[in-house]
Amino acid sequence: MAAPRNRKPGRKAGAGTSDARATPSKDGREVVAEAEEILEQMCSDLCLLHEQRHAGDEVEPDLVNRLFRSAHTLKGIAGLSGLEIVSRLAHRLEDVLDGLRLGRIGTRAPVVGLLDEGVASLLALISGLGRDAAPDEAATAQAEQLLAELARALAAPASPDEEGLEASGIDPALLRALTEYEEHRLRESLRRGRPIVLIDATFELARFEEGLAEISAALRESGEIISTLPSAAASAERKICFTLLVATDLAPELLARRVDLAESTLRVVHPGRAASAAAEPAPREARRIESLRSISGSVRVDVRKLDRLMNLVGELVGQRNALGAIATRLSADARTAGLGADLAKLQKGLDRKLRDLQAGVLDVRMVPLRQVFEKLSRVVRRLRIDLGKDVELEFVGGDTELDKLIVEQLVDPLVHVVRNAFDHALEPPDERVAAGKPATGRIRIAAFQRGNHVVIEVVDDGRGMNAPAIRRGAIARGLISEQEVLSEREVLNLIFEAGLSTREEVSQTSGRGVGMDVVRSNLAALGGLVEVASRPGLGTTITITLPITLAIIQALIVRVGRERYALPIASVRETLRASEHPIFRSEDRELFNLRGAPLLLRSLADELGIEGDDDRASAFVVVLGMGEQRLGLLVDGLVGQQDIVIKPIKGPIRSIRGIAGATELADRVATLVIDVSALVVEGTRRREAA
Amino acid sequence: MTEVESAALAPDTGVQDWMGLAREASQAFFTGPPAEDRQELLIVELESGEYAIPVERIREIVRLGAITRVPRTPDWLVGVVALRGEIVQVVDLRSRLGLPKIEATRAHRIVVIHGDDEGVAGLLVDAVKGVLRVRERELQPTQGQEFRAVSQLAPKGEGFVSVLDLDRVMERSDG
Repeated sequence: MAAPRNRKPGRKAGAGTSDARATPSKDGREVVAEAEEILEQMCSDLCLLHEQRHAGDEVEPDLVNRLFRSAHTLKGIAGLSGLEIVSRLAHRLEDVLDGLRLGRIGTRAPVVGLLDEGVASLLALISGLGRDAAPDEAATAQAEQLLAELARALAAPASPDEEGLEASGIDPALLRALTEYEEHRLRESLRRGRPIVLIDATFELARFEEGLAEISAALRESGEIISTLPSAAASAERKICFTLLVATDLAPELLARRVDLAESTLRVVHPGRAASAAAEPAPREARRIESLRSISGSVRVDVRKLDRLMNLVGELVGQRNALGAIATRLSADARTAGLGADLAKLQKGLDRKLRDLQAGVLDVRMVPLRQVFEKLSRVVRRLRIDLGKDVELEFVGGDTELDKLIVEQLVDPLVHVVRNAFDHALEPPDERVAAGKPATGRIRIAAFQRGNHVVIEVVDDGRGMNAPAIRRGAIARGLISEQEVLSEREVLNLIFEAGLSTREEVSQTSGRGVGMDVVRSNLAALGGLVEVASRPGLGTTITITLPITLAIIQALIVRVGRERYALPIASVRETLRASEHPIFRSEDRELFNLRGAPLLLRSLADELGIEGDDDRASAFVVVLGMGEQRLGLLVDGLVGQQDIVIKPIKGPIRSIRGIAGATELADRVATLVIDVSALVVEGTRRREAA
Repeated sequence: MTEVESAALAPDTGVQDWMGLAREASQAFFTGPPAEDRQELLIVELESGEYAIPVERIREIVRLGAITRVPRTPDWLVGVVALRGEIVQVVDLRSRLGLPKIEATRAHRIVVIHGDDEGVAGLLVDAVKGVLRVRERELQPTQGQEFRAVSQLAPKGEGFVSVLDLDRVMERSDG
């Protein structure tokens, strides 16, 4: 992805290096988008790098090269746009990566750890640019500090624990022809005990490029080409000879059989250690195929363009609905029944195509959660340093896809939840050992799809939550009364109320008392829900439930009095006639017997403060479910099911409590979409303090 | 709350209305005062008083159709309407100006105005009267007097019409 790409000519090349606060040129937004993309690639590459370092594997040279190129490209872009601080920092990272690439810096050198901070700092600088033209001062100051740190780290004497190559038995003349990078790769391969072979390949002068490309590709499948040198060997007329220095993962005999060496000869210069003969090739191949695909097949698209497209599809859906209504009307009249039938047929065809189009556009908006996971692991790496605490982080279900808009809004709340788990929930190592747990805590983040929702669980094996303490805190802050009877789950979920903290101590990582309520309201804005379950001493699980998309949804249209409202089908479990099941009262609440299970009942008219029919005999109960919570909603009538596009409500009032948005129905009347998560949360939690 | 007709908004009637006014305005173009000093105002009627809205802030004028009431919002919000897929809040201008509420009539119109940034809002008025052209310097400020949402007075015949301060009309609040 970060391979050098064609850049548009004509980007303003003035300013060069002069002013750190220079405004990006007119296409500044594009610069920011491009820089962000490069940085995201660097993040995920760094993750891989750390994984390989951690596992003690050889760090893949292609990976380091890609990182190096990314830093280089970024430096260039920043230089052209006059973003001096970004350019300088990228330059420093490039130095580190170059050192790593050439083996001047060992993979275990501390400076490698600074790469993460470098990328984080660059991201901070760039995202500051997105809002107003100049990088913000805090980010700039932080970058300057990091630059100084990098300079110090780079100035430290390098420890190239590399022995001479003379002992390798390779022709000194050949060795002299190698570049520094190639020398490093050769040393590294020798150190790893890989067999080293020299292949002399002869090609027709007219077609040598193809031939060379062919043999190179074949060799790369089972090894690394350290160098390709034109050969001094005497060659026939119209022929050209190359010498390829190859470190292979296969035994040389196997390699000779694998690669078609019709006009080539293979010489073993170093036998290597035969141990890891043919174990590795498969995964390498797989990874290569994946990265190739992303180079050739992806297009960067502005999210706003997708939004526009989505709106258009939404309007088409509305018009299709209107067409259906006309067809029904025509069919009802004997004189136009034929015409109505034709129109209905046409509408059906249109319907099918429209569904495909809808699915297609939706699919484009879907992105895997892996992106969020990568950000999380970056945050945690940083926290490891800040808190001097280790953690085992596990991610499951990175392929689970969600609407891009939701993914973007999801990052902050999720980071908060993970930070909380790391900082508060996980005990210090000595305390853990004393409790008979492994010294290092674990946080497991798992995502999976459940129907039209995506569930994300953050599970830690920390100290768990202290329900009595939370209850005392809630009473002290007047959230509940002393007499109130709450189940343990209800008590735990009080942490999402404003002003309640789970821990007494204050830390920089997760401040005091603020946070979980913000997490809840942020997720509610996405139509999502957050819940907590915990067992003292064993750990805590935070469960986030989100709709897959916010764009086009299936909705159940219900009637209350003279008004109609839309309920997202994703949250509707079933609908029942109110008269068919007994309703009983407990305190001031009504409950409903749903096949033996009690279900809390609320009337939509009461919730919205409007006038309904108030006729239980003809009313319906819509059973709503969000996450683990259930609620029965009384409505006067069911109008039908429809695809709707949820639109924002424009005007002086920014947010309307309990309303997620509105949509235009086939009769061109605006219809409000109920915010089910707010309803469920209010419905089950609200209780009058006695 | 305003009683509304159950008929849907006819999609083009509002536009025709607006076209007529635009024609009228363009005819006056050659006879009116010089361009740099000219201010065009849409005159609307509320409780037998006349109010003016700067023309450049107006997006369209539509007939009053089906308005959807929004629960748990302040009184001055009549409800929301769908305008070609867009959902727009409608503000009761009477209530914003401290005038008594009345039943909606056939003459009622929604004047759709541009707010700040991408904002948009509908203003419910009793009727639309026409376009008034004035010179910028003829506008009188209302300093020293307490008005809810009127910032200037424009001369018209023997008297004045009140020019609405749309930013005050649209003042955001979370309900």
